[in-house]
Amino acid sequence: MLIRKDRFSTPPSSEITPHSVYLKRRHFMQAGALSLLAAASPVRAVIDADNGRDLSSPAWLAKQVSSAKPFTGETKEALTPYDNVTGYNNFYEFGTDKSDPARYAHKLTTDPWSVTVSGECENSGTFALEDLLAKVQLEERVYRLRCVEAWSMVIPWIGFPLAQLIKQCQPNSRAKYVAFETLQRPKEMPGQRSVFSTIDWPYIEGLRMDEAMNDLTLMAVGLYGEMLPNQNGAPIRLVVPWKYGFKSIKSIVRIHFSETMPATTWNLLAPNEYGFYANVNPNVDHPRWSQASERRLPSSLFSPNRIPTQMFNGYQQQVAHLYKDMDLERYY
Amino acid sequence: MPVSLRRVTVFVLALLPLIYLLQAVIRIQHGEWNLLGPEPGRAIVFFTGTWAFNLMLATLAVSPAAKHTGWRWLLQHRRMLGLFTFFYASLHLLAYSALLLEWRWLEISQELIERPYLTFGMLSWLILLPLALTSTKGWQRRLKRRWKSLHKWSYPAAALMAVHYLLQIRSSWFEPVFYTILVLALLGLRRWSLLPASKERLSAE
Repeated sequence: MLIRKDRFSTPPSSEITPHSVYLKRRHFMQAGALSLLAAASPVRAVIDADNGRDLSSPAWLAKQVSSAKPFTGETKEALTPYDNVTGYNNFYEFGTDKSDPARYAHKLTTDPWSVTVSGECENSGTFALEDLLAKVQLEERVYRLRCVEAWSMVIPWIGFPLAQLIKQCQPNSRAKYVAFETLQRPKEMPGQRSVFSTIDWPYIEGLRMDEAMNDLTLMAVGLYGEMLPNQNGAPIRLVVPWKYGFKSIKSIVRIHFSETMPATTWNLLAPNEYGFYANVNPNVDHPRWSQASERRLPSSLFSPNRIPTQMFNGYQQQVAHLYKDMDLERYY
Repeated sequence: MPVSLRRVTVFVLALLPLIYLLQAVIRIQHGEWNLLGPEPGRAIVFFTGTWAFNLMLATLAVSPAAKHTGWRWLLQHRRMLGLFTFFYASLHLLAYSALLLEWRWLEISQELIERPYLTFGMLSWLILLPLALTSTKGWQRRLKRRWKSLHKWSYPAAALMAVHYLLQIRSSWFEPVFYTILVLALLGLRRWSLLPASKERLSAE
């Protein structure tokens, strides 16, 4: 008997724009836009053409990313344009404005890169990124990304399930949580030098072990068929699609297994606004805005593209069981 | 410079932010869709809010500046700056309701009641409304001495703007705190200079 297992993307079949078609359309639009812009202002065209692109990561990674297994699932939703994904995001290490990451992240050195594994596990130590990635098969996955600020995107990531990496670390039976840490390098990260920031660096996020082992939980090294740009968390970041975006920590340098719940950055800063679980939940408002709906980007001026927010960002089939006995109003 | 020419200059200067915004909107509608980023509505809400606050500060700065420099003519432009404050605050409210909440009245009213930072912003606009309506010479004559005390409500309106901004701090506090310090300084200047005046009034009664 053939058992068909729903792997991750709930939205039913046949509506996604294949990546190749997307790229063709993108090139067509770019060519059109560029020729228009070139006529109006040649300088601007040049700036726009390489807007925020700094894909200087090593060749071995580029090769591995380009040989990733292409996306086979389907989704109804249109992908958010590359320029928006890479030019409009939060990465407070580079500044609090959404255009700051794209503006400043090119200064970040992402090669060589190593990740330190510590805590309740057999295989702790510091590992070169290359060695960690040697044992995994990369694949493309299209996920919705819902920011706690009530905007959302649809992004084609390239990565591998976090579970594969965790297995390499061999956590012991005491490991109940896994915490992640972002690079702290104020010399290359202007946001970490800011005297006006109330964030205690480095940025820390964490998951419960069963959340971390869920097949949806992805470690991403690529975006739109290419390597991750620095502003999106190069060279390696987490993607947890049923949680608000701030859980998906970027530029990871440390993974720590622990028996107790780790203290996480936003939870420490404003516990009434940012819970540890941070599951996307239209029924629990952020104190400053409703979470019942979201602005799917890009939005146009007179139709903001507001759509209802789905429980667990629409991934309830894959993750609802993780929280079946929990009061999600209390554990938000 | 004759007063009419100065008035035109102030008018044009205060209009520049709107002109910038209009050209951006026109370019967006003509295909430069990413000009204000992927959330143009949100960008416009922030922009108009910032300029409402800037003009509020400019309005409050007129009388201390006139006093310290001795340039009494500065006072001739306070009314227009105040009206532009109300104008940008209204655009801010309109942009929020139309571009972010798409005129969903129920949602707009709920948000204004439930979110303290929005309540304070709304209160500030509600204070500015009667001040704008009574800004004419006619109302000034009709209200006589009460006109002056009515228009002192611009002080709490400015304070509410600061609260509206402060409550939105997430991790970077520079701009909201900077604006608040400016408001406090401008109101503080009045406190010092108003004190002797009110004492005088007390002793006269």
